[in-house]
Amino acid sequence: MKNQRGQIRIIEAFLAVLIIFSSIAISASLTAGHKNMESSDLASVGLQALIKLDSDGSLGAYIDSGNWSGLRETLSLILPEGVSFNLTVYDGKMRQVNTEAVANGNPNGQEVASIKYVCVSQNPNFKYYVVYLQLAVVR
Amino acid sequence: MPAISIDTFFACSLMVLLVLSAMASTASFLYQPISSFGDEAFIRYREIAKYILLNTGEPADWGKNSQTVPEEFGLADFEAAGPYTLDVDKVSRLNGENLHALSYAQIYTSLKIPDVCFRIEIKPLFETVVNLTAIYEGEGETTYEFTVENTRSGVSVPAELRIYVVAENLLQNLGVQSSSGEIRLNVTISNDFNGPALLVVLAKSKYNTKIVSFGAYAFTHISRNPAVKDGFLRLSPLNHTLTVVLNNPDITLSEVYALTFNHSLTLEQKTSQNQHVTFTIPKLLDASPTVLVATGWNSTQFFVEWTVYPHIPAAIGISPTESLSLADVYAYTYIVTINSALYRCTLWLGGPKR
Repeated sequence: MKNQRGQIRIIEAFLAVLIIFSSIAISASLTAGHKNMESSDLASVGLQALIKLDSDGSLGAYIDSGNWSGLRETLSLILPEGVSFNLTVYDGKMRQVNTEAVANGNPNGQEVASIKYVCVSQNPNFKYYVVYLQLAVVR
Repeated sequence: MPAISIDTFFACSLMVLLVLSAMASTASFLYQPISSFGDEAFIRYREIAKYILLNTGEPADWGKNSQTVPEEFGLADFEAAGPYTLDVDKVSRLNGENLHALSYAQIYTSLKIPDVCFRIEIKPLFETVVNLTAIYEGEGETTYEFTVENTRSGVSVPAELRIYVVAENLLQNLGVQSSSGEIRLNVTISNDFNGPALLVVLAKSKYNTKIVSFGAYAFTHISRNPAVKDGFLRLSPLNHTLTVVLNNPDITLSEVYALTFNHSLTLEQKTSQNQHVTFTIPKLLDASPTVLVATGWNSTQFFVEWTVYPHIPAAIGISPTESLSLADVYAYTYIVTINSALYRCTLWLGGPKR
């Protein structure tokens, strides 16, 4: 009789352990789901910011004039708080154009959203640039 | 080692293995439906947010007519050249201080999505805060020292500032000043008159002239009466018309000014009826909010009151912090253009918790 009671207690204990660890496992998976969402949302936010800057030709103007600090400060204001970015500009032959970093932090090592955007200069001489924008949430 | 201990050891190992495999299978079984629901809800609400910002609604120009309640809700400018350009009047009607504001119920009905609650906030990309720091009384004049801070989350924003001072029979343009984030400025006013005065600051980012902000500080010039905001008038800009509602019949208006970064104008009265006075707001090609300042008298007491067109910061809808326990709420941030200037629009969308 005593032995049977002991076995039931052990089974109960294991069931309790199962429930606790399952809940931990489920919450871990839920957190992973949110990370994915943040990444896809970041890409959308970054693309919208570039489109907004390009809509009046100011993105091309920053690149044409080499105003990298202006572009960096503008992106810092436009992008949401707590987002770090790194922008690289290439010309049509994929040579890097920006001579200084257009970034407010280093997004490496975090979950990074990457956006590739083609921008046309409003100069009379036809020029286009390929803009790579990397974004990450600062944790 | 007794045989019973070996038995117990194997039994426990077996149980641990069973528990671990049960955990793994439970997690993998439940992960898919839970995460896919989250993704689906996130994508659905994002599409609704985009719909609100990219569609004009029905009728397309519902913002302009104060009597029109939209059949379908959308904030886009119907004459816009590009996406995410919002109508100045539709945005103004989201501000509860505006006489012609829509209620949450009206927007909820016209959105036609009954299982979605929402909040919409539109504000400048950075804040301009004005504070009075010192007063120096001289002979025949008083000098006020102000600090003007342009910040975003505590980080300084370099900006060009246009400063105006409005007082009794006075509109003074103090010109443009450059700020690396915070400046001190002195304003000297003659002691020939006293009473309320207003310092208006319009700010433009040094790096992008479409990123703008504004601030104002009401103070009393050599008078003991404190400045009162919205004590005498209700100012409601819509469809390039400023409607001024006088809170009592003894109030008379003196001057009404429209101030932008590059222009300052005195507005002309359009109509006057039953304590409702209207003024025409000119259409200016200036990427700047228009600060509207009304001065007048309540019997013998002078006053200065102000508002801004577009009527921002505008916010309507559920409080995201209060509703977190009731619903799954997602926030989406967009950069929008209103009258050529850039603002930040945040939409919170949610539905019942699942």
